[in-house]
Amino acid sequence: MKMVHSKQCPAGVTNLRLKFPGEDSLVFKDLSFSVQRGEKVLLLGPSGCGKSTLLQVLSGIIPNSIELPMKADQIELPESWGFVFQDPDTQFCMTYADEELAFVLENLQVPRDEMAPLIEEALKRVDLQLNTSHSPINEMSQGMKQRLALASVLLLEPDVLFLDEPSALLDPDGTEQIWSSIKQAAADKTVIIVEHKIDLIADWVDRVVLFSDNGIIIAEGPPAAIFADYQEELKRYGIWYPGVWKEYLELNSFRSMMHNRKPAGSSNKIRLKDFTGFRGNTPKIQAECAEVKSGDWITITGENGTGKSTLLLSLMQLLRTEGIYEVNGEPVIQKKKKRPLPKGLSLVFQNPELQFVTNSIAEELTVSLHGMPKDQADMYAEELMHLFNLPDSAGRHPYQLSTGQKRRLSVATALTPETDIVLLDEPTFGQDARNTFAILEKLEQLRTEGVTILMVTHDMEIVEHFATSVWTVADGIVHTDSAGGGRNARMVHA
Amino acid sequence: MLAWFTPERKTWLFQVNPALKFVVFFALLLITLFNQNFPFAVWQAVFYGMLFYLFSGYSIRKLALLSIPLLISFLSSALTLIMFGKGDTVLWQWYLIKISEESIQHGLLLGSKSLSFGFVGFTFLLTIQPVLFFYAMMQQFRMPSKYAYSFIASFRLIPAVTEELQIRRNALKVRNIQFSRGVKGVYERLQMYTVPLFAESIRRAQRIAVAMEAKQYQMGAARTYYYTTHYSRMDTVFVIVMITVIATALSLAFI
Repeated sequence: MKMVHSKQCPAGVTNLRLKFPGEDSLVFKDLSFSVQRGEKVLLLGPSGCGKSTLLQVLSGIIPNSIELPMKADQIELPESWGFVFQDPDTQFCMTYADEELAFVLENLQVPRDEMAPLIEEALKRVDLQLNTSHSPINEMSQGMKQRLALASVLLLEPDVLFLDEPSALLDPDGTEQIWSSIKQAAADKTVIIVEHKIDLIADWVDRVVLFSDNGIIIAEGPPAAIFADYQEELKRYGIWYPGVWKEYLELNSFRSMMHNRKPAGSSNKIRLKDFTGFRGNTPKIQAECAEVKSGDWITITGENGTGKSTLLLSLMQLLRTEGIYEVNGEPVIQKKKKRPLPKGLSLVFQNPELQFVTNSIAEELTVSLHGMPKDQADMYAEELMHLFNLPDSAGRHPYQLSTGQKRRLSVATALTPETDIVLLDEPTFGQDARNTFAILEKLEQLRTEGVTILMVTHDMEIVEHFATSVWTVADGIVHTDSAGGGRNARMVHA
Repeated sequence: MLAWFTPERKTWLFQVNPALKFVVFFALLLITLFNQNFPFAVWQAVFYGMLFYLFSGYSIRKLALLSIPLLISFLSSALTLIMFGKGDTVLWQWYLIKISEESIQHGLLLGSKSLSFGFVGFTFLLTIQPVLFFYAMMQQFRMPSKYAYSFIASFRLIPAVTEELQIRRNALKVRNIQFSRGVKGVYERLQMYTVPLFAESIRRAQRIAVAMEAKQYQMGAARTYYYTTHYSRMDTVFVIVMITVIATALSLAFI
């Protein structure tokens, strides 16, 4: 394998072959790819097609840090490069922002006296405003963390910037922040991006490269041309290309689903009055007066850290609560310790893996069905697997599913015959377009079958098109908006 | 939680090089461990107690709180030996309990030793900043940077793991998982918690390692230091004080 540094082409590979150990098929078979100096390239493709792997090969992370069997006729590695990863929580080894930036400078053997001004400058370059550079990273929002990751990478003075889905785990605000920082700081650099949420960068990149399921480049060219000519593929791969919502809303299947949509009923499912949820002894969430009707789909929006998740935990009695709280007309027993779960309610957390308790999909769906005869439980599980498009091999371990399947399974596990109210914490977060629409359609189907839904989300499109009613949470206070519909929600957010 | 570990005032012990402090304290603990002389052990405990209560820089309330585990370890180690230890000069006997002069002495010896361990350990932990300690270990004692940074990075992971534990506990409750009673239940719990938490932690650790190397960290490569640590006059003072402490304890015990 020949490794070269070339002035013209800062990163590239010729006839790359690579495979993951234990798998039969190659990830790439004779793939060639290169970039021009200063070019901004966006790699698109279905999840699992090897885009991220390619970034790691082009930067040298594979095979220098991660050893994989690979060969290539020629590889051009950039002389200096920076890499921003997807997960804001696994990019730092230090506790404070300045220490993390200094870690990079230490690696580069920059003398101590020159560090402080460089740190300040790096923070300025990504527009990260902190009271002091010695701020704890744990207290930052996810968007700020990604900016810090970018700042630390800029200290390497990279020729080439590799971005591996830097906004996948960010809310809309964070997404906007990180891309504006990237555009500002990387204007003169070569940038190679892997990303599914491409609204904000579609017209910034020079070239789009489209991959197929088996790691073959099926098209490349200027973004406008690709978006026009390959819509079918983009849709199939679940990419959030510009206008994906608009097209979805015009689909016949969506229209027929929403045509004569069953409105929420009139009977009360949940009633809250002067309801307070505590963490320790501190009140963290308060609802003065709120009602949920049967068949409601309530979206709960609000900024990070305002108490949306706390509200769900309080309703589920996983936190101590006070005040009037009725489910199906019956007061919920609110105790200080050993709180029983309210009947009929179930909660789906964000991380699916932390909710799985068994070694197979089928068991996962039957384990909570205490007291149901076995054959009946198996039938019930089969129905759910069908409803949520889960793979037929019921014996598969839940960890072996794809991210979208894991998420759908975690929603399915919350459904027992007694469940008629489901609480969901950002069920579509970090999902591609296809999975998002799939989850929303399943939820709508459940709703028509009589399940009431309360769902935390940041996605205003979901709020507008699926919610029957909108709650917003600000500073630990729940504001209800019984008039319903997205328009009001938009106004609240404006 | 980390906020709890901010001292009320920074005493002279804070100015001592943390790596040197570690080595000296480690030596003190070795002396404590191998010593069999009763008065010497007691005097050591007294002096280390003075170090802990007077010079750690923490408020009386916090020191009192930290004294509880020390007291428990003193009582448990001393009492077991006093009541069940061997000895010929029996003072009092009741069923299995046999208190003799020798057992009292052995018990108090062991109790003083465990007190010394507690005082020295707490004094060290209360008067260092972990990050500075590892920076000093790298600079003054040439600890390989990969060990130092793996310890530092693991501090960052503690809050993430505790949060995950909490989520897992809630998730198991929501999933209505009931555990068996007794030993089998303990095993079931262990399995239910460790598997997903380990899977998550291993993945996270691997990602952080890759991210560190992507930031041009190289094992064994020369590096500069953001926090420079060095020896100062206070280190000489510290070593002299510690030698004096041991010498005084020795002379009080043997003369």
